[in-house]
Amino acid sequence: MPHASLSYVPVIADVLIGLLVLAFALLAFRDVARLRTGFSRAWAVGRITLAEAWNARIWAVPLLWFLICLILTFALVRSYGPGGEVRVDLTIFLRAQEILLLVYLGVLACLALPRERERRTLITTGSKPITRLELLLGKVMGLSAAALLMILVMMGATWGFMKVVDARIRHDAWVLYHLQKKNYDKMVRHLPPQAGLLYLARHGVLRAQNNITGRLRIAGYINYAVNPPIRALKGGSAETLYFEFPSLPATLRAPPLFVFHFGVRSFGKRRGPARIHVTLVQRSNPMNTEEKSLTLNAQGSAVWQPKKRFAFFSYVNPMTGRIYNPGPVVVKVASMTAGDYLFIANGRKPQDASCLAWNMDRTRTPGHTNFVAPKPDPIITGFKSNGKQEVVGPSYRHPGIPPEVASFEFRHLKRRQIPINKNGDFTVHLLVGVDKQMNEALPAKAQLLAYDVDNPQGRQRQVLRIDDKHITVVKLPASLLDGSSLVINLSSMIPGHWLKITPASVAIVRPPSPFILNLAKSELVVLCEVTLLIVIGVTAGTCLGWPVALLTTMVCYILGNIVAFVGKLSRQGGFGLLNYVQENRLKGVWYYQIGSLISAVMVKMLNMLVHLLPDFTRFDPLYFIVRSVNMPWTVAATDVFWTLACVLPTLALGYLLLRKQELA
Amino acid sequence: MVAQYSAIQTRQLTKVYPGFWKSQQVLALWQLNLQVLQGEIFGLLGPNGSGKTTTIKLLLGLINPTAGDALVMGQRAGDQNTRRRIGYLPEESYLYRFLNARQTLDFYARLFNMNRAQRRRAVDYYLDFVGLEPAVRGRRIGTYSKGQTRRVALAQALLNNPDLIIMDEPTSGLDPVGMLEIKGMIGRLKQAGKTVLLSSHQLADVEDVCDRLVILYRGQVELGGALADLLERREVFQLEARAVSPELQEKLIAVARGNGAQDIRTGRPRVRLEDLFKRLVDAKRQAEQPHV
Ligand SMILES: Nc1ncnc2c1ncn2[C@@H]1O[C@H](COP(=O)(O)OP(=O)(O)O)[C@@H](O)[C@H]1O
Ligand SMILES: [Mg+2]
Repeated sequence: MPHASLSYVPVIADVLIGLLVLAFALLAFRDVARLRTGFSRAWAVGRITLAEAWNARIWAVPLLWFLICLILTFALVRSYGPGGEVRVDLTIFLRAQEILLLVYLGVLACLALPRERERRTLITTGSKPITRLELLLGKVMGLSAAALLMILVMMGATWGFMKVVDARIRHDAWVLYHLQKKNYDKMVRHLPPQAGLLYLARHGVLRAQNNITGRLRIAGYINYAVNPPIRALKGGSAETLYFEFPSLPATLRAPPLFVFHFGVRSFGKRRGPARIHVTLVQRSNPMNTEEKSLTLNAQGSAVWQPKKRFAFFSYVNPMTGRIYNPGPVVVKVASMTAGDYLFIANGRKPQDASCLAWNMDRTRTPGHTNFVAPKPDPIITGFKSNGKQEVVGPSYRHPGIPPEVASFEFRHLKRRQIPINKNGDFTVHLLVGVDKQMNEALPAKAQLLAYDVDNPQGRQRQVLRIDDKHITVVKLPASLLDGSSLVINLSSMIPGHWLKITPASVAIVRPPSPFILNLAKSELVVLCEVTLLIVIGVTAGTCLGWPVALLTTMVCYILGNIVAFVGKLSRQGGFGLLNYVQENRLKGVWYYQIGSLISAVMVKMLNMLVHLLPDFTRFDPLYFIVRSVNMPWTVAATDVFWTLACVLPTLALGYLLLRKQELA
Repeated sequence: MVAQYSAIQTRQLTKVYPGFWKSQQVLALWQLNLQVLQGEIFGLLGPNGSGKTTTIKLLLGLINPTAGDALVMGQRAGDQNTRRRIGYLPEESYLYRFLNARQTLDFYARLFNMNRAQRRRAVDYYLDFVGLEPAVRGRRIGTYSKGQTRRVALAQALLNNPDLIIMDEPTSGLDPVGMLEIKGMIGRLKQAGKTVLLSSHQLADVEDVCDRLVILYRGQVELGGALADLLERREVFQLEARAVSPELQEKLIAVARGNGAQDIRTGRPRVRLEDLFKRLVDAKRQAEQPHV
């Protein structure tokens, strides 16, 4: 079923919200005008709310939080390596804070007005010259102030704790470095001491980096110096190539033919024809797959027609006239023969793509393009483990075959933003994990190849010793920054050593920001999130009893956390698994029709609701700080702005509900 | 004498509390027409459930009328600006239990946009005025006795030096001394030119202080007018004197009967228990504080 028809939902939602704000503007202008003197009245209410929270032993919450965090950190943190430890500690401290504040202040917000109504204190307060708007604002202000106080206390505690952890890590690194150095000097140890340890001891782990990261691509071979860049899939590796088709049209008579075409180049002795393994996957339902091994002919081409006729393709049902559309489909390709490199067409000209879906039926229909091309520049991923990708080193079995490459492309570099030392060098940090399957005793070595795409001749090659999860500092000449983009390729040089790579593994160094400032920005995001929930809670409390208000707020929060998911559901054609229903057979059955009608209405309603509710997934206090990356001010400011944009309509709703309400 | 404006005026004021079914609806007030003049003390009398509290809440805009309307100080009931000039003592003292007396009054003073100095002065002044012992002023209201809470509620009603004071059952929960004090206070408010609307089912309260009153029954006015007119029994004559010997009594009765008086009754007047109690407590207090 096409859900393009749902595209009006966000528009209706926005119109509804707009009407709400308009109604507020029309009805509340007197009360808003009174706010000039009203903020002190609102704050009086806020103080009372704060006093009540204090009376409800709000000060115990940070204590409880600290205790929980201590227990969790000591229970969960094993030796992750220094960066990992800090990441886990920060995650625990900030996440626990967020959850605790959301729960506690959410409950207080839902109780705020209902409890005053139950205790009838609203009668006395309501007889004073205070408007309903001030009452509402007062409650929100009081609870937000409570949140702010708690956050300040917890931020201080987090900072203190992290400082202690940092001091310990630095001390350990220092001791270990000097031990290694002593042993090396006495020739007990044949490896020089790890420079990464010294860096750690000097700089610690509490950093808020402003480093520049590039775009990571992994391939058997990459050359950006040619435009467009050339990439190749390495045979016999864990590399997978993804062709993504937004939709695959078919006719009832014939599903499309996939035609593959690669440039094949072989290293070493050829044992047979090149083979590829292809897998067809429905995006919205990864369980729906079909796979096949294909042999490439001498020209590097192969043809495949999948068997499952309608599981992946959209078509018009001639009986009902309705369109069946299973959504985006992905074709995964792996090269099976070691020693073969499959060169990939970048596909910027559709007809050149390495994978095309031909519709044989439509070739005979005039006016139709007869093939569908995937999105250009298909992605290649390396071996994946724990969210990282790994690139394999050279192999003893296939000598002469170059190792896999992790390529980082830095575009649009602004030279004046990158500090350059007096030798005319800029600094790059490598933070790479090492996975040794063989040659465990050897230190890991990586080859770094840096070039400016406009001047590939001036490339820099360095062989570096890599310490697992420790920073390796690399100096590169500033002349590399002159061109339109800088490429840094990294590959492992020792057979059996895999390098674990993340997109942040290679970074151009810029001066860091203070950690405490970064922490403060994270806390600001928490405050925004909590404030939004407070406003929702107080608004729910204007017209509901506290249990129902609590439920409503909870539902708002949960739905607000799955906004993207619900949006995707309706865009990709409902619950993927339900797509298997054979419409033809069931079409005439009345209960199927009723069921599908109900489900359609439900999807629409859910979609509507979700568009009316604020998106809580926007608030991510952890993303930057656990990566030791400084949160840009624009991100913090966007979060604040977004909070205000959600708070205003919610407050408007609360005001409209409270405006004529009887307080006694 | 200055011309008297009406401080409160209602027209056909009606309140029906909604219910889920029609049978659950409550007709609390039916077409009330009320006029309270400036500077007078007006009593709203009636048995429990007759609609006194409902009337007062309507006048404050705490609830919305089903029909009719009410003007308070020339503005619609519930107007934010008029509330600055109104003091309200609720039927029961609905105060924050976790605050002490000072904090409570400070909060309400803030709602009147008083500055810090004004607040401190007003809080202390009115706590003295209502006679709350200084020892309890720093304690949470949750720990107060009913009478002490009532005093804080009263202070809260007077805090903004209002022109119109609306008191719902002002004497409930107070000891007889407290009651007398309140009555004295109301008298002083009248002298200061304030308008007071008070509701009660304790007739003694009303009788002593009110200028005019209405009696409500089931939401409707049964009787209304000036107290003096309502209570005066014009057809009866009463004589009170000291040192009357039994002979003189006989003579007086004989004279009265001989001149056509009917339904003659004689007896000894009694002091009211209230006065007796007050005299007793006052004597005790004098003894406790010899230096005063
Ligand atoms: N919130 C309410 N909902 C329904 N009925 C009410 C409500 N408040 C008062 N009543 C009814 O309205 C009538 C008048 O009540 P009230 O004004 O409180 O009487 P009074 O103050 O004279 O004792 C009573 O019958 C009472 O039960
Ligand atoms: Mg009452």
